[in-house]
Amino acid sequence: MLKVTDLNVYYGAIHALKGISFDLQEGEIVTLIGANGAGKSTLLNTVSGILHAKEGTVEYLGENISNEAPQVIVQKGIVQVPEGRKIFAKMTVMENLEMGAYTVTDRQQIQDKREAMFDRFPVLRTRSKQLGGTLSGGEQQMLAMARALMANPKLLLLDEPSMGLAPVLVEQIFDIIQDINQQGTSVLLVEQNAHMALSIADRAYVLETGHIVLEGDASVVMNDPMVISAYLGG
Amino acid sequence: MNKDIIRTSSRKGLLFGIVLIFLVLINFHIMASTMISKLLGTNVLRGAFPEVRFMIIFLVIYGLWAGWSAVSRENKTTTKLLEGLISGITTGIVIVLFGLILFFLLETQTDVRRYLTALSFVSINIFLLGLRGAGVPVLFGLFTLTGLLGGALAIGLRSKTVSNFKHSIKAFVSNVRQSITSALPEFVTKYGKYMIYLVLLALLLLLPSRWGSYNNFVFGMVGLYVILGIGLNIMLGLSGQFMIGIAALFAMGAYSVALLNSPFPHGLMWGFWPSLVVGVVMAVIGGLLLGLPIMRLRGDYLGIVTLGFGEIIRILLNSDLLTDLTGGPRGIQNIQQPTFLGRPFNDVSYAYLIIVAMAVSIFLYYRLEKSRTGRAWLSIKEDTLVARATGVDVQKYKLLALCIGAAFAGLAGGIFAARNQFTGPNDHTLMVSINVLSVVIVGGLNSIPGIILGSFALRGLPELLRELETYRLLVFGALLVFMMLVRPDGLWPSSRPNLEEKGSSDLKEDIDPDLEGRGND
Repeated sequence: MLKVTDLNVYYGAIHALKGISFDLQEGEIVTLIGANGAGKSTLLNTVSGILHAKEGTVEYLGENISNEAPQVIVQKGIVQVPEGRKIFAKMTVMENLEMGAYTVTDRQQIQDKREAMFDRFPVLRTRSKQLGGTLSGGEQQMLAMARALMANPKLLLLDEPSMGLAPVLVEQIFDIIQDINQQGTSVLLVEQNAHMALSIADRAYVLETGHIVLEGDASVVMNDPMVISAYLGG
Repeated sequence: MNKDIIRTSSRKGLLFGIVLIFLVLINFHIMASTMISKLLGTNVLRGAFPEVRFMIIFLVIYGLWAGWSAVSRENKTTTKLLEGLISGITTGIVIVLFGLILFFLLETQTDVRRYLTALSFVSINIFLLGLRGAGVPVLFGLFTLTGLLGGALAIGLRSKTVSNFKHSIKAFVSNVRQSITSALPEFVTKYGKYMIYLVLLALLLLLPSRWGSYNNFVFGMVGLYVILGIGLNIMLGLSGQFMIGIAALFAMGAYSVALLNSPFPHGLMWGFWPSLVVGVVMAVIGGLLLGLPIMRLRGDYLGIVTLGFGEIIRILLNSDLLTDLTGGPRGIQNIQQPTFLGRPFNDVSYAYLIIVAMAVSIFLYYRLEKSRTGRAWLSIKEDTLVARATGVDVQKYKLLALCIGAAFAGLAGGIFAARNQFTGPNDHTLMVSINVLSVVIVGGLNSIPGIILGSFALRGLPELLRELETYRLLVFGALLVFMMLVRPDGLWPSSRPNLEEKGSSDLKEDIDPDLEGRGND
């Protein structure tokens, strides 16, 4: 479904991604784990079109999308949940959801989608008239995910959904991710919380300073001695 | 403890003393006494200096204020008196030093007006109460006494009984209001808001033909600033682009109407209405040309570039090189007046035209704000990156905001030029941009009532209080500082932020402060 080949991304003179290649099959959860500064978010931003690669290609459903603008990529079905939740704090929950469906123009469809989101995240229904900024961290993360789902994504890019949340909430969020995946949305998950990420992912890639140093089935990666010592606190 | 009191209240007194020195240096004491004498109904000849006694009133009020503000809430009565006294004495000492310098200048007949323009001998003489050297100790006594009195006054007005009294009055008022609302028939409470609108509308329709051309002029100015404010608000308030050069877009509208309707320099006589359309289109093109190169800029940098744009346009209009094209520094005179259904325009028709333009602008603004486009602007303002990630074409919408805002500015400019029958580079200075910015900020970002109130407060009042003209910048600055402290969201803030209060504050607890989720690094 998604095929990234030999991706090189620069921030000015800084070489952030040094020849990354990976792929994601339809229906999979693939996770990218790595420490701060490994290039995980850069990779997601490149896939979603916010950043553009200097070399290499991003292929989606057989089509090269390396140079497309973000709004085009959203329309094609790749939607990102940005790092740090980043909901619109000064908009109500309802308006946040409607922003998520920005690329959808059919009113009825927006409404149906919104109802579906309220069913999936009941807490958002009770908060629907509240400003996004007044929600708790966990609720904000749910809102961010609901907002992304409003755009009918085929592929969901999640950037550290566990960031800054208490462990019980992290588990809840990961349950939701699994649920979303089971209903047919492929997920590309970037995480620092390697343990949680590996426990729900099908396959994993380990990123270090712009290189992929390890890849394989999640269960295999989880038992890799290097990963255990570096990311799982073994 | 005692030392603390002395330190804090003498610091207050010092502040008041220094501020008073500055006020005297800009001749504000003369201004204040003129205003007071007017309030008291004494006729002062224009240009003549008022009597000393009016300035004493000003100084007494100032001294009372100094004493009042030094009083802290918690302390005992005697301490409060002491605080007022110390503050008064400190102010007095500062003023004595200053007075001695003034006295020295007066004695030696040293003219310092080359450096301090406002400090004339007459002004010094009045400040010293006309007593020359003897005025200095009198001033000291005055500030000591008023400081003490101010302290006493603060005790009287800040005590518990007074605050209780205030509370009971408040309760009484709300009771009365409630009983009135319940007594009124239902249709009044239900449609009361619309009835007020109707009354306002009727006033707007009736007043221009009744209240004379000067009031029409002031009203028109306010109205044009409302339109400009709406334009700026679309750029600044809705899409979050810090634009300072709106005077340039205003100028495009004004010059389009002027150049297409005057005998010099081109001798074109297109008529007002088509040229107004041209003006709006020109302003939109201006907004587009300005927007394209600055799309990547944000915040302060955007402000600086747009400010530069405004100045470039003004300097171009002012240059001799372009005299054949734009009329140069002398501007464009004798702009042909519009006609409507064959009848020529007078001040009343302009007032109506401005009302219509204002109404159209307000209507369009509300439609835009509530639209998909408005939502996109808001999202860009809040978080450009996320807006992009949710599929908003950020560049397109930022440009669109600039262009639509520019259209409003062009509309205001076109009407402005025709109404004045003249426009020149001096109508489009940086000050215009800053005025519009102040109107929006002081009134309240994203709030139409706020913008109307703001332009009345900042454009209407100064016209009506012509005496304050010289001190407009001072008042502006003071007002802005005051606003930041007391009403940071503007005089009449938009209702959106109020939504926040509905959400309860105890929802934040499950954000983990230690970011435990990333503990495995």
